[in-house]
Amino acid sequence: MKKSYILIALVVLLAGAGVVSELATFMDGRLAYESPQAIDHEAPTPRELALQEQAAEATKEAQEQPYVEEKYREFPVIGSRVAVWMAAQLHLLFAAFVLAVPIFALIIELIGYKTGDKRYDDLAYEFTKLLSTAFSFTATLGALLTFLLIALYPHFMNYLMHVFSPTFLPYVLLFFLEAVFLYSYYYGWHAFSKRVHLCLGLGLNLVGTAIMFIANAWLTFMMTPAGVAASGARISTWEAVTNYTWMPINIHRMIANVAFGGSVAAAYAAFQFLKAKTPEERAHYDWMGYIGNFVAIAALLPLPFAGYWLASEIYAFSQTMGLTMMGGAFSWLFIIQAILIGNLFLAANYYLWLGMGRIEGAERFRSYIKYLLIVITGCFLVWATPRSILATVDEVQAMGGSSHPALGFLGVMSAKNTAVNILILTTYISFLLYRRSGRIPTVKWAKAGNAVQFAIFALAATTVLFFGIYGYFVEAAVRIKFSVPQVGSVLAAMILVTVIDIFLLRGAKETETRWGQISNTSQYVLIFLAVTFTWLMGLMGYVRSGLRQHWHVYGVIRDTSPDAFTPTLGFATKVVSVTVLIFFAFLGVVFWLASLGGKHGKPEVAVEALDGGDV
Amino acid sequence: MQIPVPLKVAILTIAATGFYTYVGQLVPQKEVHPPEVVEMSSDLSTADLVEIGEGIMSGKGLCFTCHTVGKSGALRFPDLDGVAIRAGSRRPGYDELTYLAESLYHPDVFIVEGFSAGMPQISKPPIGLTDDEIRAVIAYLQTLGGQATMTMDTVVPFSAAAPDGPLSAASEAVDDGTATGSDEAEVEGAA
Repeated sequence: MKKSYILIALVVLLAGAGVVSELATFMDGRLAYESPQAIDHEAPTPRELALQEQAAEATKEAQEQPYVEEKYREFPVIGSRVAVWMAAQLHLLFAAFVLAVPIFALIIELIGYKTGDKRYDDLAYEFTKLLSTAFSFTATLGALLTFLLIALYPHFMNYLMHVFSPTFLPYVLLFFLEAVFLYSYYYGWHAFSKRVHLCLGLGLNLVGTAIMFIANAWLTFMMTPAGVAASGARISTWEAVTNYTWMPINIHRMIANVAFGGSVAAAYAAFQFLKAKTPEERAHYDWMGYIGNFVAIAALLPLPFAGYWLASEIYAFSQTMGLTMMGGAFSWLFIIQAILIGNLFLAANYYLWLGMGRIEGAERFRSYIKYLLIVITGCFLVWATPRSILATVDEVQAMGGSSHPALGFLGVMSAKNTAVNILILTTYISFLLYRRSGRIPTVKWAKAGNAVQFAIFALAATTVLFFGIYGYFVEAAVRIKFSVPQVGSVLAAMILVTVIDIFLLRGAKETETRWGQISNTSQYVLIFLAVTFTWLMGLMGYVRSGLRQHWHVYGVIRDTSPDAFTPTLGFATKVVSVTVLIFFAFLGVVFWLASLGGKHGKPEVAVEALDGGDV
Repeated sequence: MQIPVPLKVAILTIAATGFYTYVGQLVPQKEVHPPEVVEMSSDLSTADLVEIGEGIMSGKGLCFTCHTVGKSGALRFPDLDGVAIRAGSRRPGYDELTYLAESLYHPDVFIVEGFSAGMPQISKPPIGLTDDEIRAVIAYLQTLGGQATMTMDTVVPFSAAAPDGPLSAASEAVDDGTATGSDEAEVEGAA
């Protein structure tokens, strides 16, 4: 038996050797290798010689060609700019979410820690649950953006590296640290002591903010370059970092991220609410949605002020750039922005008014809603009124210019600043009414307190209106400065009224809040808010980047690619929309994965337990 | 039939996005291309310069982003109507050409009362007009209330071809307080 095995093995080996030798011969043929004897017997034909010469020439040419650095490469079908645009926008949307959620998750966790109320801790944990997958998306999209930039804009990226190379290593290290903090914050929720865990959350926020600040330096440098010579040579990286718009963008983005993150988290809660099977689940997600929306609106209110600062820095850097933004190619974009922000305010107020339905005793404020709606709609319309109108030649002649004789007055900054300030003030009043719905003050000075609050509102509104109207009668240089008292009076009013309200409602008699007993419409409003916030971020990202027009680095490195033109607003809005839809598709995956993680522990919070769980 | 929640949410998302896209199509659609190089040969006539100058002002120079011609009221930047008349008498010792050239090459040196600083030096990036392009702009400005006299042979003060521009004289005038129209740093720009 053994012998027969040996025999079979020998046959197999021989056969194998045969196959190998056949293969070697075949390869020889493919490589056109011929043994010296073969050459002796078969001299090459003239054609073969010519081919050999040609091949040798081609090899020589290939070896001698100089290295030429490519300035641009083309991305198929959609072009390089749109590819980078969409990748950047998607990366920024996820990054904004990943940076924002830890901010309010930490605050909510801290409230839970201070008050000993476990509901807040659970809520903070649920918000954080959304982070893990979103962080992976952020990193992946960031890598995609980097590779696209290096591949499609190698020359420009080389220049950015020349200026900012000292910032890259800290960025990578911080990113690594962020991963450590984020995962230890999430997975260590129930493993560490509360104080240690809060410190992890703080670390996560600090590192995330530092990362954003570094990335902001790169993009703001492209807009408002500093620290480089006219030739582009680097003089100081620190000056390049601390350029005109760096800090305004840092602050603006931080606030906007919180608004956006809050709205997305509220959309998640709304989605879960709509799918909820039990009253407990509905109550929990109603509350979560409310908190998310509260965060979003609280951040939205000061956002226009941060926007003013950013715009004023753009003007300070270059009047030309400022005027291109507000009066030139991009002026109509701000009409679209007005419609978006108007929708945000309308929807946010509508959600608050719907929410009053779940609070016992809110009926007493119902009659005010119609007045608030009138004011908000009026402000919205003023804000969305353009200075000049597209019209036929006959219409222009009839109007005596491109501006409407009456409505044209609403298209100037005096009217718009007034409208937006009143809009903010009115939304704040809506929130105050909501807050008051479930509470009846018991302090002795309640009447006087209410009167003072009313007087503060009246004073702020009068100040805003006074400067708004006065602005029509003074020179532009004076008028520009009027935004300061307008903004100042609204901010001061909101702060003062809030402080008074806190003391006024101490020991207040609280009525029942029936969490979960709210219409489904309110939840769709939350989702609409998230879509609108996202779209708005896309649009404003476009204008910030588009302001450079045909410059990679404004006034320093010119864009000479085929995409070095400013597209129409129609085209830009299409790109924004596609990006937003892709983002929400990705977000659906994030939500789905987050819900998988929570299947073992559905909210245990009873409806009654949520009573008074208000901000 | 009950529509599933995810589908409803998707419809809402697409509808909202679609609405904003639609709004985006309603506003004026303009594609802004980088400024083209203006070819200027040495045999251009004054009329040619005026025509080219007007084109540069509304295009590459971005002048009409800020300035107007024939508007009054609370303007943010000086109106250019009649600038040629004012240019010859606005600053002591300055003729029309020198005044206009200084306004373009060094807009921060003289500031008209009631206006804010901020006009960029248009001979430098991001606008970066060439000396000949500025020559054409001056030719056009001369027609606003006056007669264009600019030729390709005219030596434009402050340009590379000018032997010694009167910038130092202008700076001295600013120093002794005779040049500015106001105490605030305000710029007339090309007016």
